[in-house]
Formats: sequence, structure tokens, C-alpha cells
Amino acid sequence: MFESLPAKFKTYGLSADVRTLLLLRKSMEKGLVNTLGDIFLVLKNIIVKEPNKLGPFSKAYYDYFLSIQIGDGERLDEAIERSVTFQKWKEKFLFEDRAHEQWSKDDLINRFLDEVHLTSYNIQQIVDGKKIFEDDDPYLKDKPGNGSDQDERILRMAADYRGVNLEDILKRMEEIARQQMDEHSGGSHWIGRNGISPYGHGGAAKGGVRVGGAGGGKMARKVIDDARFFPIDMDAKIRDDNMDAALAALKGVIEESAQQKLDVESTIKKGLKRGGLFLPEMKDVIFEKMQIILLIDNGGYSMDPHIKPVMELFKKMKTRFAHDMEVYYFHNTIYDRVYSDVQRRQAIPIDRFLAHDKNYNVFIIGDAAMAPYELTRLSINNWLSIKEKFPKTAWLNPDSIQTWGYTETTIYLSQIFSMFPLTPRGIEQAILAMNKKN
Amino acid sequence: MAETSFWTGSDQYLCDQELAQAFHMARTLGMPLLIEGEPGTGKTELPLQYAATLNLDLFVYPVGSKSNVEQFVARFDHVKYLRDSQIEVLNAQREEKGLETKLSTSGRNTDQLSDYILKGPAAMAYSTPNSVLLIDEIDKAPREFPNDLLYALSHRKFVMPESGQVIQTTEEDMPAIVITSNREQELPTAFKGRCIYHYIKFPEPAIMAEIVNKHYPKADEEIVKVAIDIFYHLRRLGLERAPSTRELLNWFKYIKQHAKKEALEKINKLEGIGALIKTQSDLEKVQQKLFNTSSSDFGRRSNFN
Repeated sequence: MFESLPAKFKTYGLSADVRTLLLLRKSMEKGLVNTLGDIFLVLKNIIVKEPNKLGPFSKAYYDYFLSIQIGDGERLDEAIERSVTFQKWKEKFLFEDRAHEQWSKDDLINRFLDEVHLTSYNIQQIVDGKKIFEDDDPYLKDKPGNGSDQDERILRMAADYRGVNLEDILKRMEEIARQQMDEHSGGSHWIGRNGISPYGHGGAAKGGVRVGGAGGGKMARKVIDDARFFPIDMDAKIRDDNMDAALAALKGVIEESAQQKLDVESTIKKGLKRGGLFLPEMKDVIFEKMQIILLIDNGGYSMDPHIKPVMELFKKMKTRFAHDMEVYYFHNTIYDRVYSDVQRRQAIPIDRFLAHDKNYNVFIIGDAAMAPYELTRLSINNWLSIKEKFPKTAWLNPDSIQTWGYTETTIYLSQIFSMFPLTPRGIEQAILAMNKKN
Repeated sequence: MAETSFWTGSDQYLCDQELAQAFHMARTLGMPLLIEGEPGTGKTELPLQYAATLNLDLFVYPVGSKSNVEQFVARFDHVKYLRDSQIEVLNAQREEKGLETKLSTSGRNTDQLSDYILKGPAAMAYSTPNSVLLIDEIDKAPREFPNDLLYALSHRKFVMPESGQVIQTTEEDMPAIVITSNREQELPTAFKGRCIYHYIKFPEPAIMAEIVNKHYPKADEEIVKVAIDIFYHLRRLGLERAPSTRELLNWFKYIKQHAKKEALEKINKLEGIGALIKTQSDLEKVQQKLFNTSSSDFGRRSNFN
């Protein structure tokens, strides 16, 4: 059952595996899944674990269950409209005693979405709204129908949904998954014939229940249209919109620990006061340590555009956490000194720089590209001593990773330091590598 | 039998449809519900209101930077234990000296280890069938805390320290567990995998009006409308800290004290805006963006809607 689901959902960058299927199965056994809309909800709650996976999830769902592929930047309505699934549904929908009715394109799409996203909750709502269903009596057939034809149909359909057993459901689902959307006996598929929608727009309105257009369909539409529900590009250079992702990655350098320790001083003091009855006094100790050195190449035009976002990133870090951060500058490479100001006038001899505590996390930010003769033996030795002194050192290179192989000095320096692209993902990897060494 | 009815909110609390469904699913499957979303969107309110309306026992564990599993489950009070055992020695000495008064251990017995176990909210919830357990702001916890919880949550069983007593519950009696997070730090994947996840999207203006009505049922419709309109306008300015539902409600509390005409005026002049805007730079931004365009312009825009 749904064996191909994890693979399909993985192509959308979602994590789905056997456990997903087991949970889905359990949900079915517990009676949570009765309609296609229910599957959407249940799978969403199982698979989506952060807001920016909602977009990909909606796409995957439409693709897997309805064969509707939503292209990049395409709106949900457009994707639905051009899909074969919708065309087939429309034919059947309009063929049924509705041939004489006027349905606008938007109404049809709304109706389609309503049917796709119809959930047991909606059905329950309609039923509750009618005040006919008793909570503990799912088989409504037995009750005298005292309403109009439409009421009766609603109840019949609702009863039908609540009465089906698991195997039936599984069978129905499989049919959808296989796209057998053609002629079948009534009720064995979700979309088509009177099929899945036990209510009409009029019917729902009559019962005073808000269903049409307000449910899952509206949400799906919103999600597809909103970039916030899609993952940010982790491989793009750091900009305002992926700054937070970079920041989240950067938080990995904070060493945090909390524990209770014996407070010797207060134990003694209070013990003496008690006349020699020494009771251990505890105190909470929290450590939050983040020691960072930024070593920025700010020489030359090639580096200019990168410095601002980098400084912004670390500045944000600074406002959020108590810590220790120092910034130094250099031009292309380091000879015997680094500089503590942007204009590179305040020179700091390399020995003094190397006198920092070895637990500092050192980020070198530069393109590592220079004329080969600039990278002298002296310079190389200094890079080597930096690496030796600070075990947690990473080189972040703003140039795209494809170009690294074309510059001799970049190749050489990337052999000394672990070099990562200056992107949210690059920072994340750099920090993983830094933490691993200890 | 676990409480698995579909709960959609109370008089004071408008539970978003999707959230209600996720919560129902979590309770039906006996899994914790992890709620994320902007601050002030009612994450913490859900379990509180749920417990209150259905009259269930509620246990709350507010997470902080010092949280650990011991506090959450149970810990053995070594200090008290040591104190009581010393008291025994002292009492013996006093007796020897012929003193009659005795120091008290408040009925605790050092032979009875379970006397010294302080049960945390988790142990309490697990020993109360059908209760509600709220783990609030788990993103504030030290990094290892969520992982430490994993075992406890998925095995429905705690072993008490020192005494070895076991507290366990069944899938049926499982408390409804709600965990909230403001996404200040990523939670471990394995942890999220054990939870039903729901992200609260910021409510639409129409829903927001309903929320305000739930809190202030007598509020004038027009005032609500204008206030909400301005509220969403402020949110669109791209502030560092966009105002949230909670802040709107606070602001409204101030506004509604005034008569209608006065109230509308106050809204348009953004009086009491300190309730909505919380940082200096945001305040400057608001003033710059809203009042540089002439103030009559602003009033017209909001009346228009």
C-alpha cells in the first residue's frame, strides 16, 4: 500500500519512509482517514516538520494522489486547470444532471478543491450543523429522514463514509494512486460521479455550516502562492532573505551547558550558621561560550560586496548572545601582521594574533585568489601556524565552488584549510567540521 | 479511555481548524503535538483552554535554559535526605543529653526512599489518566534536552530515581501532550519525528476579528475593523518585531475604554502604540513611514477599508 509514496515525496525534498507509512496505517486504523482530504491532513501532520516544507508537501500530494504537477512559480489554479484529472472530473461533474447549470471556471475549480480537500471533519460539521446525527450513532440510515431530498442525500453520504471499513478505504486509495479515474461502479472512487461530495453549496449554506471554499483548498492555494512555505535556497550567497538560515547554522558554535554544582562557599557559610550541620547547597551554573575570530580579506574590489552581509550576520549573532568576538582584516594574504580596523592602519603583529586562546572559532573569509607570487613562504608559514594554533578554523569562500579549481592559490590554501562556500549550507558544514575535531 | 473527541475551541479561544485537526490526530494516535509559530499566536493557550473547558487536570512544564529531564520527570531530593538523616543523629545526641524537644522531619522517613522523590510534571501527568501536559517553549532548552525526552515520551514509562519505582501509562490513558516552540533553535529531527507537527500560520483579518470578538464580545464592530486594519498595516511594514495577536489584544484593551468617536481617533493617531511596537528602531520606522505620509492620508486609508 502506497509503497511508492516515500520515494515520490523524497523527490520533493521531504523525508518520508517506512515509519511514515506505518503512522499513516495506524491513523487509518484509528478511523482518522476516510476521505482524500483526510489523507492530506494526516500526511501533512506526519511529514511536514517545519513551515517551509508545506509548499513542497502540497506539491507532492497533488502530484502523487491526483497526478497534478505544479510547476515552479505556477499557481495552483493554473496547474489544476490544465491537468487531465480536472478535465475528467469536470466532464463527469457537468454531465450529471448539471448540464443545464452555469458553472464558471473559478466555481468549478473551487468545487474541485472542495471535493479534494473534503475531510471527515467537514462531514461531521455538516452533520452536526443539521443536528440530526447523534454523536454515537454513525449509522444514520435507520433514522427517519424528515428533511428534503438533499438532506437525505447528505446523510446517506455521511453514513457511507463513516461506515466503510479499512480494507475498503485502502482499496479506494490505491485506485487513486494508480489513477484509475475512469468508469467504476458508483462510490468506489473519490472524484467523479456524485462521488465524494455529500453536500452542495446550497446545502451547506442552508445548514449554516461554513465549508465551501474555506477549508483545505484555500489553504493549499495560499501555501502554493507563498514563498515562505518553500525552503530557502541554502546554497545561495548570504542575503537578507536567507540570513536567518545562516544565523541558525552559526548558532552551532555556541557551547552551552547547564548543570547543578555544589556551592562550597554557601555550604560552609550556612553550615557554620547552623552550628556545624553541613547541608549541601547547590547552585545552577550555565555556560554559554562562543568565542569567535573573524579574519576578513577586505582588500580589492572582489571582496567588497561580501563584507557587508558577513558583518551583518555576525552582528546579529552578537546582539542575540553574550559572547566574545573579534574581527581582523587582511589584504589577500597574511604576511607578518593583521589589522584591527577596516582601513588596515592598526597593525597587529601575527604573534599577538596567535596569542589568542586556542578555543576560539576562527572564520577566515576571503576568496583566496591572488597572484601566485603573493603567497610567499613566509605567508604560508603564517597560515600554517594559524591552523596549528586554532584547531577550530574554517575558511569561508564567497566565490562559487566551481571556480575554486581555477585559481592556483585557492587550490593551495584549500589544501591547508577546510574551505566552504559562504552560504547558509556552507556555514552549516563548516561548523559541523569545527565541532567534530573536538 | 483517552479523551479523543474533536475539540474546536472555547468561548475565549478560537481554535484554528487545522490546529484542531492536528490536535485531534495527536490525541487519537497518543503522540505529542508540537506547535510552532510566531510568538503570541495562542500556542500555549490551546492546552490551557482545552484542559479548562473539558475540566481535565493540567500539568505545565515551562522550559528554560536550565531545564533538564530530572526536573521534568522526577528527582531525588538528596538535600532533604541528608538533612533528615543528620536530624536522626542530632535527635539521638539530644536524647543523650536529656533534651526533650526533637527536631522534626515532617513525617518523612529515611527508610522510605520514595518520601524523597519530587515528582515533576511529567510523572504527575503520567500517573493521572487523561490529563493534559504542556511543555512550554521547548526551544529555550539546552540542546540535549529534547533528545533526552525522546525515550520518556515514546516508552510511556518513567523509572523513578533511587527508589526504582515505575510510573507508566497506557496508550488509552496517555495524557494529551502539547509542546510549544518559537523556533529560536532547530529541534532535532528524531524528536520532531516522534511528534505530530503543526505550524500556526498568522490568522487572516477575518479570523482576527473573530478572535478579538471572543475576548471583547461587546466591542464595537467598526472600532474592531479599523484597529485590525491598522494592525495588519503595521505588520506589513517589515518591522524587526512584528506585532502579534497578544499585542493587538492588549492594545485593544486600552482602546475600548474610550467612547466610539474618541476610540477611532485614538486608533488613527496610533495612541498607546507602545502596546504594539516593542523596539525603538521599529517605533522610528513606524513614525517615519506612517506619519511622513500626511496623517489625513492615513486616516482615509483606514476608513476606506
